[in-house]
Amino acid sequence: MIGSFGIGAVTLAEAQMEKPSVQDFLPPEILFQGTPFAINRIIFVRILATIIMLLVLGITAARAKVVPSRWQSAVEWLIDFVKNSIVYQVMGEVRGKRYVPMITTVFLSLLVFNLCGEVPGFNIAASATITLPLVFAMWCFCQYWIAGIREKGIGKFLKDEMFPAGVPWPVYILLAPIQLLELLIIRPFSLTIRLFANMVSGHLILALCLSATQYFLITLHNWMITFGVITFAASMFMYLFEILVACLQAYIFAILTTAYINMSYPELD
Amino acid sequence: MVTLAEGGADLFIPKVYDIVWSLIILIIVALFFYKFFLPKFQSVFDERAEKIKGGMAKAEQAQKDADEMKKEFEAKLAEARIDASQKRDNANAEAARIIAEARSRAATEAAQITENANRSIEAMKQKALVEVKAQINQDAVRLAAGILQRDLTDAAVQQDMIDKQIDGMASADQGK
Repeated sequence: MIGSFGIGAVTLAEAQMEKPSVQDFLPPEILFQGTPFAINRIIFVRILATIIMLLVLGITAARAKVVPSRWQSAVEWLIDFVKNSIVYQVMGEVRGKRYVPMITTVFLSLLVFNLCGEVPGFNIAASATITLPLVFAMWCFCQYWIAGIREKGIGKFLKDEMFPAGVPWPVYILLAPIQLLELLIIRPFSLTIRLFANMVSGHLILALCLSATQYFLITLHNWMITFGVITFAASMFMYLFEILVACLQAYIFAILTTAYINMSYPELD
Repeated sequence: MVTLAEGGADLFIPKVYDIVWSLIILIIVALFFYKFFLPKFQSVFDERAEKIKGGMAKAEQAQKDADEMKKEFEAKLAEARIDASQKRDNANAEAARIIAEARSRAATEAAQITENANRSIEAMKQKALVEVKAQINQDAVRLAAGILQRDLTDAAVQQDMIDKQIDGMASADQGK
């Protein structure tokens, strides 16, 4: 009796669908455990992605010729896209020139890190922790503050940010702290959370679809196979959609960074 | 449930090693883009722009050269046309002169030939006349000799007859 119950329990356990969870984003440390240089799966993916990106782009840059190859043309198109469609479009050429390297770094790095979630073998975005988007957002806000202080001076910069013109003075009592909060916390965290949440949700939905496909098509292998076909189609759709989201999030992060930095400059007459 | 909630909250707490690796990677990537990647591509863009600019300058120079050559060619062509026209005029004039000369020479020669022919005809005519006269004289003499039964070819006879005639004429005058 006990034996048969036990066998039944094992079968039930085997038949359970493996569901993705937030624990996927808190993987155990696999190298240098307990040190500040500990490496888990996501960081390993991030390091590998960085090495691959630096190698590919480095070789492309080193071999760049006046008459470009197809690959070089594609990379040049990306550089042009960041320069013209993001930086110059938001800031103009005069202001924007200074920030082209920064925004190119942000856009291309995040693009590669986000796309890791769609690369078989990696299966998780290298930006799928709160820290990486936060570090990038902090860099953005350092630039924001530096530009504001350089252009206006710290006093005027803070005054312009906390006490916007045209507001009745009693409102400043409420508005000034909110503005300061927005300046220090809300803007960087909105950038961070937007990217992080998109990477997490994308991974969870895609992993859920694939897990359901595995469950319906292979584990159960009965009349529920129909659901497996549907979930497989859904996972293919989500895979393509996640590629789009990965590109879109890199673009949004880059364009918002540019817009925030541009806001720190004085208004043009 | 509690574990899940804790796990969810953990997601938003940055780990020290994650911060360290994120910063290291950001610094490396930023250095790469700032110091190598973008300057390298910028130099390629500049070189390309320079070449395009140089190419355009070359094309402009080539266009200028071509225009100059065209002008030169057109000038030479006009000159050649004028030259050819002059030569044609000269040739025409020369031809006209040659024709006129030939005509004149032919006319002179023709006149000469005609004159010679006329002279020759005249000479022959005179000769014929002389011959005819001589023949007539001879025939007349022979006829007269026949009539007179005398040899009029003899000078003495002729003298005798002349004398008789003169005498006859003299007696005629006296009778008048």
